[in-house]
Amino acid sequence: MDVELTEILEALCQHAPFNEIADDPQLNDMTKEIEIQYVRAGEWVIAPSALNNTLFFIRSGAIEVLSKEEKLIRRMNEGELFGYFSLLRGGKSSQSMRTIEDSLLYRIPARWFLKLYEENDNFSDFFELAREVRLRVAMDSQNSDVSLMTCPVVSLLRRPPISADISSDILTSAQIMAEHRVSSLLITENDELIGIVTDRDLRTRAVAKGLAYSTSIADIMTRDPIVMDSGDYASEAVLKMMERNVHHIPIVKNGRPIGVVSTGDIIQKESHGSVYLISDIYKQTSIEGLKSISRKMTHTFTQLVVADANTQMIGNAMSHIGTAFVKRLLQLGEEKFGPPPVPYCFIALGSQAREEQTIKTDQDNALVLSDKYDKKLHGEYFEALTDWVCRHLDDCGYTLCTGDIMASNPRWRQPLRVWKENFSEWIQKPKAEALLRLSIFFDLRGIYGDKTLAKQLNQHIRQEALQHSGFLTFMARNANQRKPPLGFFRQFVLDGEGEQSRTFNLKERGIAPIIDIVRVHALACGSDKLNTLERIEDIEAAGLLPEGRAKDLALALEMIGMVRIKHQKDQIEAGEEPNNHVNPEHLSSFEKRHLRDAFHIVTRQQEFIKFRYAGKRS
Amino acid sequence: MAKLLLKNKSKEGIQDWQAMFSEWAEEAPEGPLKRYYQAGMIAPQTALKDTPLLALDLETTGLDSSQDEIISLGLIPLSHKTIRCQGAQYWMAKPERSLNAESVTIHEITHSELAEAPRLHAILDEILLALTHQVIVVHCVAIERQFLLEASMKIYGFPLYFPVLDTMDIERQATFKPWWKRFGRQPSLRLDACRQRYKLPRYKAHHALTDALSSAELLQAQISYHMDPNADISNYWV
Repeated sequence: MDVELTEILEALCQHAPFNEIADDPQLNDMTKEIEIQYVRAGEWVIAPSALNNTLFFIRSGAIEVLSKEEKLIRRMNEGELFGYFSLLRGGKSSQSMRTIEDSLLYRIPARWFLKLYEENDNFSDFFELAREVRLRVAMDSQNSDVSLMTCPVVSLLRRPPISADISSDILTSAQIMAEHRVSSLLITENDELIGIVTDRDLRTRAVAKGLAYSTSIADIMTRDPIVMDSGDYASEAVLKMMERNVHHIPIVKNGRPIGVVSTGDIIQKESHGSVYLISDIYKQTSIEGLKSISRKMTHTFTQLVVADANTQMIGNAMSHIGTAFVKRLLQLGEEKFGPPPVPYCFIALGSQAREEQTIKTDQDNALVLSDKYDKKLHGEYFEALTDWVCRHLDDCGYTLCTGDIMASNPRWRQPLRVWKENFSEWIQKPKAEALLRLSIFFDLRGIYGDKTLAKQLNQHIRQEALQHSGFLTFMARNANQRKPPLGFFRQFVLDGEGEQSRTFNLKERGIAPIIDIVRVHALACGSDKLNTLERIEDIEAAGLLPEGRAKDLALALEMIGMVRIKHQKDQIEAGEEPNNHVNPEHLSSFEKRHLRDAFHIVTRQQEFIKFRYAGKRS
Repeated sequence: MAKLLLKNKSKEGIQDWQAMFSEWAEEAPEGPLKRYYQAGMIAPQTALKDTPLLALDLETTGLDSSQDEIISLGLIPLSHKTIRCQGAQYWMAKPERSLNAESVTIHEITHSELAEAPRLHAILDEILLALTHQVIVVHCVAIERQFLLEASMKIYGFPLYFPVLDTMDIERQATFKPWWKRFGRQPSLRLDACRQRYKLPRYKAHHALTDALSSAELLQAQISYHMDPNADISNYWV
């Protein structure tokens, strides 16, 4: 009787590329040769530098992919394939694979993979794409941007390598670098690459040490530098730079250097999308022009997500775009209403100030005016300007703030002196309720105009906060208002209403609590940072938290932030309005588990600040 | 990690299927069944990791082995680490009595499919050949063993016995807690419930080959959690 392993065949055909070739009768023959393995969490499937002769299909569970240096490259879940890289390269595997959950794996013999790869274009297309790293598919075809993940490192090279012979001294080497305007120099001996010298080397190894100009370049160069092959992917160059903490990597072809890739080249490439958008913003001369750019923002956002940017990178890019809109509008406003009669500084508050904006945020801003401001003389000008700017920000997708925390509100458009008084009042005589509304004022960044005004105000806030620790008690209490959605048995607690009843709010109950916690600590240690991750670094350095806890917070933020960003990207792709309401049923088991851990961290840290800042001196 | 070692079943010592097989090889009437026993069984000292295993599942017309009949049988070979689809086999058998509507819905096997299938006696020789020298893996030994025993009595006039790793029994021991440590209900030992405990995917039940695959995967999970691949098979077989 003909044997049909329907369960296996159906499982395969639910996922790419098998769904594309489900009608291929060979598929049934292939399933008959599959071997199945149950592998517990934490075991190697493809051990480092082991040979691999199988295509793996994850029937259930999850796998992590590690580089040669055992750094995490990515994670894979149910329905994904791995091992094909090495099959296409004759079994040699540069990456290793380890289970992170108990997993059921199908082993498909290499023979079948290679046969289908040869014969079926739909099948091979999938792997071609995957080889150029799975991302391109999702990218807009008319967009010519090429992600780092998909381009070979050679495409980043901008010029032939600049080199000097080993016999050169420091002076001539520096002259060559200056002449060619490069930040690194390859050192050769008989035309063979033997070392590299960078700007940093000249600074720290030569000038700072007071070496004579005539010192041989060999004394300060890095011998046998890390090199990469011209066929390697740019993303591998990034990994290598991060791992080894180097900023320049010579690229070789057939053993000869053909150029150098620097971190600068990479940044330029990676942020091309957002940088391009920003420069476009500054070119606009009309509101219509700005509005049409604002419609491209969702695309930039999804592109960043698809390119595997982390939340920090995305928050940074989105905030810079947001800031560019504000700046351009203010420039246009000053053209319209004339130059400002007294100096002012336009202030971003909240996520934009922290450089953590995502897609779709409403505006939170304010204006700090010079103390020369006289309402009778200048009031009209600034009212008109801010009103115009806030209204057009709304046109560009930054909706008006429901709490009316905007520069167009006269209450939040004050001279520096009044701002200082306000903050002194809030800090010296804290009222819990009022502070809840005001917490976003403690994330404050000057983005246009006379930024020293914002700087002075921030200094004032830090000093006041350090002197009045009773204030921190209130902030800590407020940071405990919003609890993570975790029940007693670590199940998710849903809080949505109506259509969203099966969801919880990731921003309100995950991200905001972390930001609140970190802000309290940041104020307590007098940190002048605004970005949450940077604040965490300061907090760690100040030793406010027990060993490892600061890092926990950063990890939790990244985890929750990533889930939110993926969720919003999915919504955008499905043609929906992005929001923060996540249905846990739509999460992978991997995400669920890590989200639980992240929420657990938040809960513990909320407890901690309650105790840490409990009624000190109050 | 502490691996669970099942206690030996009999007080006289270990269960020696090899010795029993050679006895039955003498007694069995000439024919396929005699040849099955003559082919022998592995020694009880064989390590679990060296044991040839074969997951088996039957679908029947009902639960009463004296009245109901086998209508399909699925087999899939495995080792302690790997399940090999290549050796999977599947038979359908036309029952003597007609199928009632209820069991048809359970099995997803239709009357017309069964009408074209051979009778069990015509395929049992082939099945015996597949079972030769294998330790059988089933979920709930009582049913599979009893049905095959009845069939063998009817067709060969001599019983068919074979050593079994029973994933249900293994699960019972793995989840066993003395009464004073129990809280609430005993964990379910149904195949699907056991599989979920090891985060194995959910399958549609009641296809003999899928169920055989199901218990094969369950055994692998159980081995990786509770059993020692280097221990003698006599610790585990029943």
